[in-house]
Amino acid sequence: MSSILITRPEHDDTTYYLSHWSKEIIALADQKGIHIFDLNREKAVKLEVESRLKKSYPNLVILNGHGNDTTVTGHKNEPLISVGENESLLKSRIVYAISCKSAKVLGPKSIDAGALSYTGYDDDFIFMYDPNKISKPCSDETAKLFLSHSQRFTESLIKGNTVKESFSRSKNILRENLMKSLSSDSKDNALTRYLWWDLTHFVSHGDLNAAIS
Amino acid sequence: MKEHISEDLKELVIVRLETLPSDRKVSIGAYGEFDKEELIQHVKKGDEIGSKIVEVELEFLRALKEGIVA
Repeated sequence: MSSILITRPEHDDTTYYLSHWSKEIIALADQKGIHIFDLNREKAVKLEVESRLKKSYPNLVILNGHGNDTTVTGHKNEPLISVGENESLLKSRIVYAISCKSAKVLGPKSIDAGALSYTGYDDDFIFMYDPNKISKPCSDETAKLFLSHSQRFTESLIKGNTVKESFSRSKNILRENLMKSLSSDSKDNALTRYLWWDLTHFVSHGDLNAAIS
Repeated sequence: MKEHISEDLKELVIVRLETLPSDRKVSIGAYGEFDKEELIQHVKKGDEIGSKIVEVELEFLRALKEGIVA
């Protein structure tokens, strides 16, 4: 039976948005009968992540949080997975990190350590949002331009598509949002630079034919 | 991008940042969340965050020039 591990810290605006935009993914997995290990807020810490990875063998690991070249962090920026420390725990897993830069070094190192695939961003992940929508992040149309592709990527994986198919669909969403923004006369036009940045730095490593099943 | 940012380049980026909506914020990963005025201040200071903002602008302008985005 498939299972998913997801980390959802919520200690600042960025992580709060990423966490709430993951809720539909959790609901979809639930509908599909896929067990979810949801490490939300103070549960998104290294001890919990390592314990789940060692004992529960999730097929898909979704890491929401901050990061750098070598690390993805969780609650209050505690490092969860770091190069040279515990990336081997991602062995045989499909990994998606919605965090800055981790696909630059941690991604390839995870593949070296046996992860099936690692998708994420090889530089900073940038998004715009409407602070007036902070209480309802999923209704924020500005944030949607930046986060809908990410949601689509994991939805596609949960539906059994390969990383390659999911990544391609996800990139197309981001590209469509970019073109929509670029051709807009509204203030969305000014957001294009950041959509372009994310599109350029969204990458996938490893076996792109991998799928959760 | 760690090299010194010229005053001309800062001016160009600031003019472009002025087109951002004032009622939105930008999340730049671990650097944090910034409104338009805060972005402009970082560019003026030429600090690490300002350098990142300049890098993003230049990458986009380059893509426009090369016809990748159009």
